[in-house]
Amino acid sequence: MRLYCASSEETLRTRKLLTEWVGDGFLTKEQYQLLEKETVSELRTTNIFLRLVLFLFTLISVGAAAGLFFVVFLSRPLEQTAGVFYLIFAGVCYAAAEVAVCQARLYRYGIEEALAVCSVGFLYAGMQSALFIGRPYSPTQFLVPAAGAVFSLRIWRRFGFFYAFLAAMIFLIFLPGYWTSSLEAQHLIVAVFYATGLGVVASIRTRHRFDYLDEDYSLVEALLWLGIYLVMNLQLSLLNLPAQWWGGTGAPEFGRPFYWGTWVLIWCLPPIVLARGVRQKDRFVIAVGAIVATLTLISNKPYLGWHRNTWDPMLLGIWLTGIAVFIRRWLARGPGGIRHGFTAARLSGKDKHWMNVGSTVFGQLSPQSITPAPQPSSPDLRFGGGQTGGGGAGGDF
Amino acid sequence: MTILTRLEQWKDQGKISPEQYAHLAGLSRGEPLSLFLELNVLLYAGVLAFVAGLGWTVSTWSGQLGDVLVLTVLSTILAACFWYAFSRAPSWSVAETPAPSPVFDYVLYLVSLTWSLELGYIEERFHLLSGQWDLYLLATAGLFFFLAYRFDNRFVLSLGLSSLAGWFGLTVSHWSAHQDAAYRQYALLYCLLVGVGGAVLQRVGLKPHFFGTYLNIVANVLFWALLSGVFVRQGYGLWFLALLIACGASLAWGLVHRQFAFVAYAAVYVYVGVSSLFLRGVTDDIAIWGYFVASGVAMLVVLVQIGRRFGRPA
Repeated sequence: MRLYCASSEETLRTRKLLTEWVGDGFLTKEQYQLLEKETVSELRTTNIFLRLVLFLFTLISVGAAAGLFFVVFLSRPLEQTAGVFYLIFAGVCYAAAEVAVCQARLYRYGIEEALAVCSVGFLYAGMQSALFIGRPYSPTQFLVPAAGAVFSLRIWRRFGFFYAFLAAMIFLIFLPGYWTSSLEAQHLIVAVFYATGLGVVASIRTRHRFDYLDEDYSLVEALLWLGIYLVMNLQLSLLNLPAQWWGGTGAPEFGRPFYWGTWVLIWCLPPIVLARGVRQKDRFVIAVGAIVATLTLISNKPYLGWHRNTWDPMLLGIWLTGIAVFIRRWLARGPGGIRHGFTAARLSGKDKHWMNVGSTVFGQLSPQSITPAPQPSSPDLRFGGGQTGGGGAGGDF
Repeated sequence: MTILTRLEQWKDQGKISPEQYAHLAGLSRGEPLSLFLELNVLLYAGVLAFVAGLGWTVSTWSGQLGDVLVLTVLSTILAACFWYAFSRAPSWSVAETPAPSPVFDYVLYLVSLTWSLELGYIEERFHLLSGQWDLYLLATAGLFFFLAYRFDNRFVLSLGLSSLAGWFGLTVSHWSAHQDAAYRQYALLYCLLVGVGGAVLQRVGLKPHFFGTYLNIVANVLFWALLSGVFVRQGYGLWFLALLIACGASLAWGLVHRQFAFVAYAAVYVYVGVSSLFLRGVTDDIAIWGYFVASGVAMLVVLVQIGRRFGRPA
């Protein structure tokens, strides 16, 4: 099913780890040069920056090629005709992505990724245009997001792009809207989809505990946990967002048992996710556990209909900082700074690199939201209204 | 063959020692699992949420609380954080110095944000520097640079560079006419000042590891400024030439130092600049789409060649 053979991906992973280890001083340069020769992979990879830029320019080229085709050959096509051609483009893009992998041996190179992404986009647009635009509403319209979800899942299985799995999850959100008008049923159906996926992934990943697929499955499991939480938290729900953005409607009404059932669930899910992450020593699942725990704290008051105080974020900040300090101290007091297989110490130079990147980026962004604005002309005016950036200037003090 | 099997094989062949095997096999199995990054993210989110709540509370309740109470609370937080920072910091060194404790960097971050909050409050209530708001930013930038270099903190350095950019922006906003062109000139001046400053500090060995932060910020500000010049209707030739030179320099720097972010900057900014010139006044759909196909493919070919020669994952 997967386009890359297991040994190639495993070799690539080993090579990456060797590079990290020599950087961290766990291997000597001589050892690295010796071991590197044994981990030669035929797959062609590149670094993250070139990958992003190649992805961008492939998107531009493919999109422009489709545009040029329509301009040259079909000046004012019918929706159905355009749809058929979109479907052909989808097939061409998908075939090109496969060729890029099979012939050119591209691996996370940006080009094959953009081609695969374009194929999903064209498939969605093609099905919508060819089958449903300009026709009366049909209950079979659910086939469009369903096809998008199935095709995205196929791309995830074939190529291993985690964001294809995320796309499949997003397509699934639109499905129940075609089957039932009950919002409660829609939430439950999406949650059941995600829970089923979670069960499947959890059962599969036990076979890949220490191989190259473990990280992929870990990420997918984390996404599914996050999806279930976001669908069941009615204050943040993924399902309500499209309606609120486009329809401009307020929060929808739910039955009391369902509403309070989801409230119980949003309190139950974080400890379950955290426990699962800690038991599996799964970084992504632990991170999602922490995120959903924080979201529960943030959304609890709106859930209960309580008034939100201006000092709530301060309490949240104190709580988060306190938890971080407590965990770090507790771990550090263990023998060798380790407890139950966890440590707060930095073990990899990669962590330091990410910290440096994060501090540069977030140091630039964070002052915009909390620092004061230039002085208004009237002394009676209250804070706010600044437009310039910088450590001492923002738009909304 | 999994990494664990390979490690065992290498140990048996004597390519790695048994101690190395034990350590590396443990790391491969995630034993122990480091929560270093996660705990840092939690601390960052905590400080940010705290200061956001503080700002919200102050702006909402300042009338009821009174200036004395607000300033006392903010000053107390500042004083406590300063005391913590100066009492725990190791002696100063020009080289990279690790933080004395994991929370140290975040205490400094709290100092910086609270300082900005307090200054904003003072100016808002008392108008001490009425009409000369930019001096606050300059003073703030100065304080942040001092803290960044004294305590070796990239977070605060970024805040300092951001404040300095704000000072340049506010200074130029005093001029009402031709603001766009004036902003561009001040952006270039900012780049020159920060770029040369960062290079000199690196050359004299004063926290040379900060140079990457300087360079990234300067590169982006410079490219935005030059691009905004290319977008103007008249007199864009010089800006375009400058953009080409800057992109060439960025590309060369990225390839020589294997910092591929600069290769990416060069590719994207030069593409936007060249495209804006090519498509200026072009209304024919075929020409527009044809341009994007040809240019997109050309960029792909060039980037693939660069990737083949230089761009293996570091």
